[in-house]
Amino acid sequence: MNYILHLLIMIEIYLILAYGLNLVVGFGGLLSLCHAVFYGIGAYASTLLMIKTGISFLPAMLMGMAITALFAFLVGIPALRFRGDHFVLVTLGFQMIVFTVLYNWVGLTRGPYGIPGIPRPVVFGYEITSLIGYLILVGVILMVTIIILFILYKSPFGLALKALRDDEMAAEGLGKSPIHTFLYAFIIAGGFASLAGSLYATYVTYIDPTSFTLDESIFLLSVLLVGGTGNRLGPLVGVVFMILLPEALRFLGLPDTVAPNVRQMIYGLTLILLMFLRPQGIAGEYKINHYGKAEN
Amino acid sequence: MEKLKIKNISKAINGLKIVDRVTASFLPGRITGLIGPNGAGKTTLFHIITGELRSDTGEINYRGEDITLLPPYRVARKGIGRLFQDVRVFENLTVSENVVSACYDHRVETPWFPFLRKKRWKALERDFKEKSDYYIDYVGLMEVKDVPASSLSYGQQKLLAIARLLAGGFSLLLLDEPTAGLNPVMIKKILNILKRIVAEDQGKTIVLVEHDMSVVTEVADWVYFMNEGRIAFFGRTDHVLGDKEVREIYLGL
Repeated sequence: MNYILHLLIMIEIYLILAYGLNLVVGFGGLLSLCHAVFYGIGAYASTLLMIKTGISFLPAMLMGMAITALFAFLVGIPALRFRGDHFVLVTLGFQMIVFTVLYNWVGLTRGPYGIPGIPRPVVFGYEITSLIGYLILVGVILMVTIIILFILYKSPFGLALKALRDDEMAAEGLGKSPIHTFLYAFIIAGGFASLAGSLYATYVTYIDPTSFTLDESIFLLSVLLVGGTGNRLGPLVGVVFMILLPEALRFLGLPDTVAPNVRQMIYGLTLILLMFLRPQGIAGEYKINHYGKAEN
Repeated sequence: MEKLKIKNISKAINGLKIVDRVTASFLPGRITGLIGPNGAGKTTLFHIITGELRSDTGEINYRGEDITLLPPYRVARKGIGRLFQDVRVFENLTVSENVVSACYDHRVETPWFPFLRKKRWKALERDFKEKSDYYIDYVGLMEVKDVPASSLSYGQQKLLAIARLLAGGFSLLLLDEPTAGLNPVMIKKILNILKRIVAEDQGKTIVLVEHDMSVVTEVADWVYFMNEGRIAFFGRTDHVLGDKEVREIYLGL
């Protein structure tokens, strides 16, 4: 039972991450490889605020969100000067830099030792310690996230993002500003990733930089590629599939000596097959194809 | 009253003069043709007007405002719309979404707008649905309204791009070869639409880059003839097309 609750909480956390990233990848058509950066900065910012200043979880989470949004703004300004492959590489660069800083700024982050004993969240006087409590707390924040993002998905802002994604030159010719629109999307995605980071930190009560590596960013991107982007259903399908598939493979009854490796291989093979069979993702409506974006 | 005035515009790319000291003005309520051989600098001139390219010299003035240095999205917000040679519809959006997206202006396209002005958003959504239907009907794409733009034929995509420009409320339309690659029926359709646009709204200015001389003769009152980056001739259409030099350089007669 606890195992299932744990999986549900992780699914909730990843849904927050995936729905936010969907705005950039699915609506904006920009393949960002630094989403784990915002996830990590949110986790570290809220944790350090809670430990060093003693403020409670909700204000720490919101302040962490503000800090991360500011950081996303600073990353977005240079990164969004690029498109396609170059954008991917620039975000990859930021991912490496931030990881290195988190890993080596021992005075602030304790580097590779990580931060143990992160306080449990106290929300409106209740201290949350049980798995059910976390499931509800993360669930409530997930609901708020989804409501806000779904409104954005179908707002004129969402439509402008999709227009810019499909043809930036034509959309700009209709008066849509690429830099403003993409930057808003980037900041919003960063802000929501930070929420997920704060929740993750207080849920596992220990963070270290290895939770926020390039692998994590790639995982988040593959969640969207598998599930599908540009709509409401894709991220849900992707998260559930990508988190449950490795778990399901545990029950294959493989001999212990080879099990982890075989699981990894089946996992990888599934992704490859999916890309052949459904390049737009299981529930996606838009096929990510940044090579096709010709500039005149 | 003159609407678009370009003065002394030059542009060199890799040392090659693509546009060379071009001065021209375009009047409202008219369709003005811009003709000339391939490589004469017509499309580059459009790029400079819309801000895709920055000119080396000169200035561009639209309705009394200097727009020379504005980025493309701000030129568009001043009311200058463009039909691209390669059409450029939003392929993953439906026909209807394509046109609706042109209706919204940038003040509405902020992430906070739907939260702060919920009622206004819903009202706009209704209005623009109607408005986009009107223009989809205007270009005759009503049957394919809910189809993704990628599944339209090339000609239909051109019609869609025109509907998008109309819905965007642009007062100056720069059309880069609107009839190229189309069959005669489709060409006729597009020409009728162009004539209807200026007939219904005398405030609209249309500039037309075109290689098909029968098209130019049919819709354009005035013609600029460009050659090697320069405006070689300007005058009434029949006049310019009747000129001996134009006939030699361009028409090969």
